[in-house]
Amino acid sequence: MAINPGTGSNGVSGTTSNGKPARKRSVIGKAQTKIDTRDKVRGITKYTDDMVFPRMLYAKLFRSTVPHARIKSIDISAAEKYPGVKAVLTGHALPVAFGIMPVAQDEHVLAYEKVRMVGDAIAAVAATSEEAADEAVQLIKVEYELLPSIGSIQEALDNPDTQIHSTSENGNIHRSIAYEFGDVEAGFAEADHVREDFFFYEGNTHLALEEHSSIGIWSADQKLTLHSSTQNPHYLHRTLAKVLEIDQARVRVIAAPCGGGFGGKCDPFNHEIAVCKLSMMTGRPVKITLTREEVFYCHRGRHPVLMSMKIGYKNDGSITAFHNRTVADGGAYGGHGPASMLYTGVLQTTTYKMPRYKFQGARVNTNKAPCGPKRGHGTPQPRFGQEVQLDKIATHLGLDPAEYRKSLLVEPHSLTANWLPIATIGLKKCIDKVVEGSGWKQRRGNLPHGKGLGIACSAYMTGAGTAIYWNAMPHSGVQIKLDRSGCVAVFCGVTDIGQGSNSMLAYIAAEIFGIDPFDIRVVSSDTDITPVDLGSYSSRVTLMAGNACVQAAERAKAIIVEAVAPKLEVPAERIVFEGRRVFDEEDPNKGMTFAEAVILAETQFGTLGTTGSYKPPKWPGKYRGAGVGPAPTYSYCASVVETDVNPHTGIVSVPRIWIAHDGGTSINPTLVMGQVEGSVYMGLSETLFEEMTYRGNRNVVHKFPSFLEYKSHTSNDMPDIITYLLEDPEPNGPFGAKEAGQGPLLPIPPAVANSIFNAVGVRVDEIPITPDKVLRAIRAKAKGQEGRVGPMRFPEVPYPDPIVVATPDDRDHVVATGKEPVGATK
Amino acid sequence: MFPAPFTYVRPRSLDEALHFLADHAEDTKVLAGGQSLIPLLKLRLVFPRFVLDIGRLEELHGIHEHGAAIEIGSLLRHVEIERSELLRRAAPLLAETAAEIGDVQVRNRGTIGGSLVHADAAGDFPAAALALDAQMVIRGKAGERVVAAQDFFVDLMTTALQPDEILTAVRLSDMRARFGPRTGTAYVKLRQQASGFAIAGAVALIALDASKKITHARVAITGVNGIPYRATGVEAKLLGEVAGDSLITSASQHAADGIDPLSDIHASAEYRRGMAAVVTRRALSKAIQLATKS
Repeated sequence: MAINPGTGSNGVSGTTSNGKPARKRSVIGKAQTKIDTRDKVRGITKYTDDMVFPRMLYAKLFRSTVPHARIKSIDISAAEKYPGVKAVLTGHALPVAFGIMPVAQDEHVLAYEKVRMVGDAIAAVAATSEEAADEAVQLIKVEYELLPSIGSIQEALDNPDTQIHSTSENGNIHRSIAYEFGDVEAGFAEADHVREDFFFYEGNTHLALEEHSSIGIWSADQKLTLHSSTQNPHYLHRTLAKVLEIDQARVRVIAAPCGGGFGGKCDPFNHEIAVCKLSMMTGRPVKITLTREEVFYCHRGRHPVLMSMKIGYKNDGSITAFHNRTVADGGAYGGHGPASMLYTGVLQTTTYKMPRYKFQGARVNTNKAPCGPKRGHGTPQPRFGQEVQLDKIATHLGLDPAEYRKSLLVEPHSLTANWLPIATIGLKKCIDKVVEGSGWKQRRGNLPHGKGLGIACSAYMTGAGTAIYWNAMPHSGVQIKLDRSGCVAVFCGVTDIGQGSNSMLAYIAAEIFGIDPFDIRVVSSDTDITPVDLGSYSSRVTLMAGNACVQAAERAKAIIVEAVAPKLEVPAERIVFEGRRVFDEEDPNKGMTFAEAVILAETQFGTLGTTGSYKPPKWPGKYRGAGVGPAPTYSYCASVVETDVNPHTGIVSVPRIWIAHDGGTSINPTLVMGQVEGSVYMGLSETLFEEMTYRGNRNVVHKFPSFLEYKSHTSNDMPDIITYLLEDPEPNGPFGAKEAGQGPLLPIPPAVANSIFNAVGVRVDEIPITPDKVLRAIRAKAKGQEGRVGPMRFPEVPYPDPIVVATPDDRDHVVATGKEPVGATK
Repeated sequence: MFPAPFTYVRPRSLDEALHFLADHAEDTKVLAGGQSLIPLLKLRLVFPRFVLDIGRLEELHGIHEHGAAIEIGSLLRHVEIERSELLRRAAPLLAETAAEIGDVQVRNRGTIGGSLVHADAAGDFPAAALALDAQMVIRGKAGERVVAAQDFFVDLMTTALQPDEILTAVRLSDMRARFGPRTGTAYVKLRQQASGFAIAGAVALIALDASKKITHARVAITGVNGIPYRATGVEAKLLGEVAGDSLITSASQHAADGIDPLSDIHASAEYRRGMAAVVTRRALSKAIQLATKS
């Protein structure tokens, strides 16, 4: 079913305010330096741990050494007496539960009834030095009554009576969902072939170089300020007020420059709240910087997900129905989990035509570090399964995997079976780019044994359609202040976590005002000073804050034009802003400097300031849960990975990767390339190296919470990456931009797996793909067994009855025939 | 990540160090290059009362050659071994092994004595010491004793060194003087990506006679077992035979005979067993090639 192309809620499409076609752009689309780069490379930028305040105290947390236990007693007396200790805090003082999602309020700042994982915080100490706090923490004594522990998805399902959270839906099933869009059984009946594959994707973590760090400052006038390395100051602001039971208006959160997030700094964390409380107790600033080991306990990384994918397809490869079952291992707490779980299913329809779709998802709790949003949030796992399965179908039908994918692509400006609105899609071009670049047609099939080429594609949201808590307010706001100095200050709640969102605002404002990005002062991520932006997650910032910035800047420009046009005696529509001047398009000598133009406007209208805001379009689906998945637009990506597989050691090396990204128009192509290549790095590293591993089930302790043993790619391991940016404008995005930060990770794991199959003819249906597994598959194949390593079964999961929803096509059919659709919709 | 409090002691001479150890052996950890001890301290896996820093004792530093006998001071850093002209000529295996250790920072700080005494299951030098028949020169209050490498490595991270003793030097012979002019050596390992430690590593020393018959075969394996070991099964298959590809391949299959390999996050026991054969084959092939050329 076709829908009209969106125009964006602001009607923004890069035209000038007078409605004429855009002049040649001077900033957007050009390689630009980041506005904060010079300070960063010279080591001048102050990250949270660099900040020092007079009389500041240092905090440390006492953490559980057992995975699951009732707390019988906590003895802090020796810690309190340790020299230099100013306060010791336990959980009784902070009984209010929290969690970033309203449906998962299951965390406490400090555990006082029960611990649920090794690393759970139980007490916090503030002392005059970090060393004293560390010593004092080791004097705390906790008595535990041990409970049986849950170490895996299977154990969680098998032991509902050993319940980790009493608030869970059912036993240790934290949350579950089931949808059926269209009659899937009918779809399977129509198919020429039906196959079911099982996949597993192990958990892994973000590995941001900066450990989490926070400083809480309670002032004598009863106001709280928190400096923190966070991606989401807005949600943190709300959580602090809730848990500390103080008025939101008295809480200020400042997101400091951030040394990497990748989703690992999205949740409000217990240490952030603990330093605020310790500051309230002592009247002194209190800092905490986590150790690397503690960052592994904070985690919130990739969920381990077990998947079953059943697909019906015709002899030509077209899909008749798809049934996707997932179980995610959520670890000890909820966090973003309910959303993560939904993302293991809802976006499966955004790439290939899939007329009927059934999704059953569940998330279980285990006594391990809590999982959450890592780059790609819940979608790399099912994307891996889906793209490997398509490769298997292509093999089965004798089709070229690249051409096969091209035959399946969803239409632009259409609705998927689960009512997601597809806007522009450049995936066909992406596939063509990587096929051509890699020499796919000439080389694939003609490479020696051990060398292979594999392809995979992906889609990702450009911003989520819904805020994390229900409200009808803007998702992003921008204020612009101009004054007689010629200075333009852009205020926005966005959080620059290194991706360059502050620079993005400067580029947009500079383009509209015809000045240089370095002429602009960007003030961001300070909840007292900047308008609300929901945060740096869901690839939402460029589109949402960018659109808000366009609106605010265009409004300011209109004010200046109103003052300048009469002065120059030129019609308003002829006024142009360019090269730090404001002038007559037809007689460029007739004009003035930008600063003079601002003075004119300030003289005439008084103090100058404008605002802009952005709210995503209403999503078309009307069923319960329809708000998860829709986005103003989706990015698309295709990648070809070349592998070199050693048949004796199973070691896979990757000499080259080609990746094409449909991210709309690049605001700054240099930064977009950086995001694409950074995503490739992260995807490849989790494909081949990274995993969160735990010791035996009875003692669920992380094996190697350190850089010493947790393996990640370094520059030594990185292949050559050949990146293509499509640059097709997206009408919903500012100047035509879509996302770039997450989508390009997604095709890498399946493209590697498919490439290994091409190289040595074996399937590793689980991530990470370690030499051990590759070699096992090769040896099995040599013995005449199935050359495959991966899950052999899918457990019995008590999913709820599916919510049955008619697809848009069913609905069209109803409109045409006047008959009621199959299944009820809500 | 703070070590437990300790007292730092820096002796001015080896005698002073031994004197201190005689009184405080059980409470003291000896610090050389710090590449193993510092992480252990920071993780509080050890919490000694004293850290005895012998790192600046000149008498433990330097390489001495007396005819065919070579004595390497225990404080020689990996990078110095890697670059020593003398060792590149007389014991190229040591220089090659040094170059494979960890990363540049580790090689700049770490010492051969520290590596041998720490006796990590996946350490690089212990296997080379086994293959070269190195002699460990040990000083204690009772005087000096010499222990053969074969007897030095007792168990995982456990050596014959007593708490009141210090490893002062490693003795070995000029390779060609000892095994003949046609001797070749090689060290091949599969690295654990994050740390550079061996998932499986093999040291091979092969000496040939004029008819290409193998007169000496030494194969030592690291990373597979709790302690490095000589793969005697492989050696027996090689000895007296004429070197060739099929011989190497079949002999290598015995690389983990009688061994119950380690199983951990980096590799399963089964994988390590397989890789022991692969690295042995590669090391033998390289060593034979070098022996043939010399």
